[in-house]
Amino acid sequence: MNHLAIQLLSLPAFALLALAMDRHQLDLFGRELAPGQTRGLRRFGWLALLASLAVAVALKGWSLGLVTWCGHISLSAAIVILSMMAWEQRKSVKK
Amino acid sequence: MTAIEKKNSKPGKPAARGIRQTMSDLHIWAGLLVGWILYAMFLTGTVSYFKEEISQWMRPELAHQAVVPDPAEVVPRIAQEMQQVAPGSNQWSLGMPDARNNVVSAFWRIAKPEKGERGFGSAVFDPQTGQKVASRETVGGEFFYRFHFQFHYMPVLWARWLASFCAMFMLVAIVSGVITHKKIFVDFFTFRGGKGQRSWLDAHNALSVFGLPFHAMITYTGLVTLMTMTMPWASTAAFKTQAERQAMQSEISAFIPAGKPSGEAAPLAPLGDMVRQAQQRWGEDRIGRVTVNNAGDTSARVIVTYGDFERVSISPKYMLFEGSTGKLLEVKDQVGAAAETRGVLYALHLGRFGDTTVRWLYFLTSLAGTAMVGTGLVMWTVKRRTKLPNPDKPYFGFWLVERLNIAAIAGLSIAMAAMLWANRLLPLEMEKRSDWEIHWFFILWGASLVWAMLRPAKRAWVELLWAGCAALALLPVVNVLTTDRPLWRSLIEGDWVFSGLELSLLALAALHAWLAVRTWRHKPKPKPQRQVAPRPAPARAADVGAVVPSAVANSAVIATDLQEARP
Repeated sequence: MNHLAIQLLSLPAFALLALAMDRHQLDLFGRELAPGQTRGLRRFGWLALLASLAVAVALKGWSLGLVTWCGHISLSAAIVILSMMAWEQRKSVKK
Repeated sequence: MTAIEKKNSKPGKPAARGIRQTMSDLHIWAGLLVGWILYAMFLTGTVSYFKEEISQWMRPELAHQAVVPDPAEVVPRIAQEMQQVAPGSNQWSLGMPDARNNVVSAFWRIAKPEKGERGFGSAVFDPQTGQKVASRETVGGEFFYRFHFQFHYMPVLWARWLASFCAMFMLVAIVSGVITHKKIFVDFFTFRGGKGQRSWLDAHNALSVFGLPFHAMITYTGLVTLMTMTMPWASTAAFKTQAERQAMQSEISAFIPAGKPSGEAAPLAPLGDMVRQAQQRWGEDRIGRVTVNNAGDTSARVIVTYGDFERVSISPKYMLFEGSTGKLLEVKDQVGAAAETRGVLYALHLGRFGDTTVRWLYFLTSLAGTAMVGTGLVMWTVKRRTKLPNPDKPYFGFWLVERLNIAAIAGLSIAMAAMLWANRLLPLEMEKRSDWEIHWFFILWGASLVWAMLRPAKRAWVELLWAGCAALALLPVVNVLTTDRPLWRSLIEGDWVFSGLELSLLALAALHAWLAVRTWRHKPKPKPQRQVAPRPAPARAADVGAVVPSAVANSAVIATDLQEARP
């Protein structure tokens, strides 16, 4: 359960951070978002990332919490990259 | 982007070498020269996070352990047996079974070693019966763990030096890699598939970046585990006398040397009571190890050591008892800051504190690290292939790197699987059976190197990847035929050690099949006739330029690549 909570916060955190990059906005929406929206995405991304850290440390203490958190953010980043790849592939098949 | 890089991204115009170009060369060569060893260190280290599970699988005669036995009952049982197994030994030590480990692993000093005999003995015991494990001779998953930092067939000290040396190169490669690719964080989620070298590069970057905290940590902490060997000067300068050194030793490990025996016989007080005291202090399931010095003598000492659970440090935590009376002499709960730092770094590397989820996270990130080294190695050839005058007859250096890549990457999977095959197939009563399990690992590894050298490169890749796939996928089948613990039974009975391991083998087999199909389907394109414009904006060419300036100087854009992985 604890792990799920950390993962459920860090995964959207990376998804939001990825969406805050213009390259990925181009890939996903075909256009760049307004600067305000991009800023919002980035801010919420960082907030979610910090929240996942806070949860990890609160649940497991500093030492175990930090290690666990590092593992989870690595996994989240990998999932986001893989989803982006799958998305690209679907797009190129459609074409 | 700086002016220098702009200049470099134009073909045929060598410019002054910038810091990143220098770093790029450093990255490439530091990575390549020890890359094959690093790949093996990474992969064997990765599976070592499950070495206890592998060991259990390699001893199928021992039933699945549903409940962890109480150490307070186990210790007296095994202690009795130790009188017969290691008579007169002045020190023996018992590692307790836990949730992932169903045996007691003991080691002891041999009282009077024969000439040429090693001074230590070791064995595994069944915690239920107290007898030596009635199972096939095997070193189990311990082999991969040992191989990870001290290889095999060579003096341990040399091997550890070599491992340290490679780890230092790895650290250099990580740091220079980050400097080389300054946009590493900007390109964070980017993967451009089907683009030949650029795809390899993206994959390499993605694998490196998302695991970067882990890779940096594991490499650095790996060096720390061997630091007293590679950099002994600080401690030899600071600690001059034997007593001082011993004090330092006891700060960093729970090892307490056996003193001189008094010569007066005295039976050990009940060991179970001492274990109970430790359990009261730390908790029922926190006992890691019980060591007895000078058993049967009035000078006997019993050390009950805390396990690696739920604590990110391996700094010593133990209780010291007087053996003959059972009186508590000392409780060691904390150490100095330096020793604690080392303890934490060491523990981070081993990852033994983790619960199942953390262990899997360690495993997966570490596997990504293995793939990072692997993609890096392959990239060396991918990048140079386009520049070969005749791809059918590459120069010797290229040929060698390519063949070593095949044997190091595809061959290692076969070798590791071969050891598990040997575990099931070698005759049970064979002499030196556990040694032969290891020999088969190396025989198959060597055979894949020979195969890689004799076959055309692409065929060798595909064939060895399929061989690896088959070797992994058929292991659960061999297990059905040679034991009475088939996968379906393990699943029904909830034996997650056996079923988890075999399902992982099948997943890894699928991964090998996927790689084999991708390699097979890939059709080398004819030599590029023109330089393809990058997509969609020139800025992208600049990205690549920043990453591999030397390649860019020649070919401007790398989208056309002979070893493109995509069909």
